[in-house]
Amino acid sequence: MQNFGSNNDLDEKGHVMTDQPKIKVKFEPKPKPSTCPICTVEYYQQFFDIEQRDVYMRIRCSLLSWKPEFYQCVGKNPDLWGPLWISTTIIFILFAGGNLSRFLLEEDKRHFKYEYNYMYVAVLIVYAMAFIIPIILGVIMKYILKSELGVFEIVCMYGYSLSVYMFVLVLCIIPYNEAQWFFLMCGLANSTIFLLVNLWDFMKKNKQTTLIAVPIISFNLALILCFKFYFFRLIYAVDD
Amino acid sequence: MEFEVQENQANNSIQGIINLQPQVNQVNQVQVQQQEIQIKQTDIQVSSTLEESVAVTLLRDLRQIGIKLRCVLVPTMSTDNARELRNWDLWGPLVFCLMLALTLSLSGNNDDGPGIFATIFVLIWVGSFVVTLNAQLLGGKVSFFQSVCVLGYCVFPINLGALFTLFFQFFYLKMFLVIGCFLWSTYSAVGFMKLLIPEQKRILALYPVILFYLFLSWFALIV
Repeated sequence: MQNFGSNNDLDEKGHVMTDQPKIKVKFEPKPKPSTCPICTVEYYQQFFDIEQRDVYMRIRCSLLSWKPEFYQCVGKNPDLWGPLWISTTIIFILFAGGNLSRFLLEEDKRHFKYEYNYMYVAVLIVYAMAFIIPIILGVIMKYILKSELGVFEIVCMYGYSLSVYMFVLVLCIIPYNEAQWFFLMCGLANSTIFLLVNLWDFMKKNKQTTLIAVPIISFNLALILCFKFYFFRLIYAVDD
Repeated sequence: MEFEVQENQANNSIQGIINLQPQVNQVNQVQVQQQEIQIKQTDIQVSSTLEESVAVTLLRDLRQIGIKLRCVLVPTMSTDNARELRNWDLWGPLVFCLMLALTLSLSGNNDDGPGIFATIFVLIWVGSFVVTLNAQLLGGKVSFFQSVCVLGYCVFPINLGALFTLFFQFFYLKMFLVIGCFLWSTYSAVGFMKLLIPEQKRILALYPVILFYLFLSWFALIV
């Protein structure tokens, strides 16, 4: 005798009634496991899960660089919006402002030659500083030095550290040598202090201070030297 | 779709009734439409488009571009506009991109024509792609090619600005013209995109659009 359940009573139509709960089967097509999850667009959606207010707070954290509050601002939510659009804005300012600065200094304004190379060089330098260097640093920190900070947190931090240059480079359009050096030095100090202060805990814990601090300082220094000697170089007319 | 027609020799047309397929329209209602139509011999659309002459095809495509251009550039957010823009095409953006790149590379002030052409071309397509991707990643319900289409159509005012700056050499006039064209482009593009992004992320999606048109307007001004 077949036993369909604990209750073998028949209902009025002659079907066996069981008191087992009805199980609903829902068919949902499983997302295809990608061979390269980091290559899909969906992977990056998690890094754009922020609002205007968050971006404003993060930029504010980076401008007040001596307070180690960045990871409290970011929480578990590093974003890529900031690094991408801050670096693109800096590229535009370098391209437009660098040429404008030369134009203001030029005596013969009718025959001013616009340098389009500024754009290509700016793209190279700024995207390298905003993405390639922090990815390398993040990979070294995560996989060799066993830090709990992920690669994308480091990229996010580097991206926001460049935010001070948006303001500094606009001020560097003023074609005075001393003024430009002053603003660039302020930018360098702010950006480097921001990075070092926020990585301080990690450096202290792992006693790897030199290994991390030296590349950070040297790359930032190289960046402002590029800014000064390529984009905002002042060419004075030589009096014969 | 089925139809019965009869020829009306009096005014050289055919008349009949078309039973259209049941359609699901925008508010998810199924409508079966029966429409009585009069088709003149000159605009029979049931024949294959392969058989028509090149001029007719081009004119039709140009008319479509013109209609969409008017929708995009006279930014009144009516439902007709929105429906028209859903039929995206990439001919319009391509035409305006090429026009802008050619105008700027042929202008007399620079000595690197091919370089400028390549820069503008790449800038427009890669820029539209990145701006659209940004809007999608921020959670906007924006269809990819529709957004690229609208961004491309909104380049048209900058095109006009670049053409004017070819003829005027007075710098302040050029500057005002280009600023006006930049504001027009940005207003149109922003008007379209801001409807598709949630409120708290709006500036995050619109700032790249502004930066994109700023780049292009800057090129139109300095070249």
